[in-house]
Amino acid sequence: MLARRDTGAALGVAVALGLVLVLAQAAGIARADHDMASMSENHGDSEVSLGLSVEAAEFDTMFYVGSYQGVAPTLGWMHGRFGTSATISLYHLTANGLVHYGAGDAALGGSATLLDGDAVHAGLALHVMLPTGSELDNLGMGHVMAMPSAWGSWHDASLHVAASAGYGRAMVGLGGHNHGPAPLVDPMNLQELTWSAAADLDLGHGVQLGGRTRGALPIGTGQIRVIGGGRVAWGTPRVSTGLELQVGLVGDPFTVRGVVDTALRF
Amino acid sequence: MRFILLGLLIAACTNQPPPPTPTQATCPDPDPGTLTWDNFGQPFMTQFCTACHDSALPHAQRNGAPLYHDYNTLLGVLQIPDHIDQWAGDGPAADNTLMPPSRCPSTPGGSLDSNCPQPTTQQRMDLSVWLACEKNRPHMF
Repeated sequence: MLARRDTGAALGVAVALGLVLVLAQAAGIARADHDMASMSENHGDSEVSLGLSVEAAEFDTMFYVGSYQGVAPTLGWMHGRFGTSATISLYHLTANGLVHYGAGDAALGGSATLLDGDAVHAGLALHVMLPTGSELDNLGMGHVMAMPSAWGSWHDASLHVAASAGYGRAMVGLGGHNHGPAPLVDPMNLQELTWSAAADLDLGHGVQLGGRTRGALPIGTGQIRVIGGGRVAWGTPRVSTGLELQVGLVGDPFTVRGVVDTALRF
Repeated sequence: MRFILLGLLIAACTNQPPPPTPTQATCPDPDPGTLTWDNFGQPFMTQFCTACHDSALPHAQRNGAPLYHDYNTLLGVLQIPDHIDQWAGDGPAADNTLMPPSRCPSTPGGSLDSNCPQPTTQQRMDLSVWLACEKNRPHMF
């Protein structure tokens, strides 16, 4: 297993490095896995967005082998420099032969654009995960998680690059036992530093191609995780759809995950 | 503000069972040796646990039991005695009833086709005391 993982990690790193050089347009939906680099930018009046994300993943962790499928509706609102979003995922989880259905943890997000130039944008964001998912069923963390972050982006006519750095902390005492990253569907450490980077290239005709990477470094006990992925998106500023294929490069977030998301803005 | 209120409402409506908690059970000093693997631990694990927590079961037949959480041997139990105490033990600080779950296989590795037998409170208390004693006893593994 170790040899297979080493080979997979090396291949994944190579893929990630390649993907980071290939770039795409973000969907603008703050997902539960904290892709803060993909915060959408809105410089006009109010904008409401409705999104729907469908995902499927396989995982092979130290304690569990299985898969999950999820669907996550998202509601977002932006007004000038400020934006908020709310989402909750519903999962079908199979782990070590046992099947669970249920909601995952709900995520609330807010962002503020502090630097609003022609090509450069930067700001702060705060995401909060609420323990709506069952901890015992490995669908939720069982506690509130707060994740403040800083994000920035740059773009020219066809290229868009974004990155974020943040901090995540479980709103519980950290002195007790630590079960390691949890839950299975979106693992996080009790306390961690997070980062993400995205690059997107506009290919014309409303099609963008890009790469994503994000990860976390635990503070104290925990596990490093790194995810890489490639994304293709198409549509208009009002309606867009994206297809993303992700691989778990370090840690055990999942072996492979596919995500399809659609966002409607009005 | 509306999102915050919505979040608080969702959190308030979440009905999570009590988390796994150390029972703080202790072994009498000196260890009386009355509870052993042979006369308590193994029968307890066989009756309540090993239909899923058995090292011989492949992951697809474990009904969700984590890998490396196997209680068909004393060595397996002593890998994670505190974990067992926090999920099934009873003592001064906690009454843990997270395990066994409500549904169990009637045959090891089978489907969840029957209600799980549940230990009595006395059996859970004995479990925690036995674990507290057993993990401090000398073993020749």
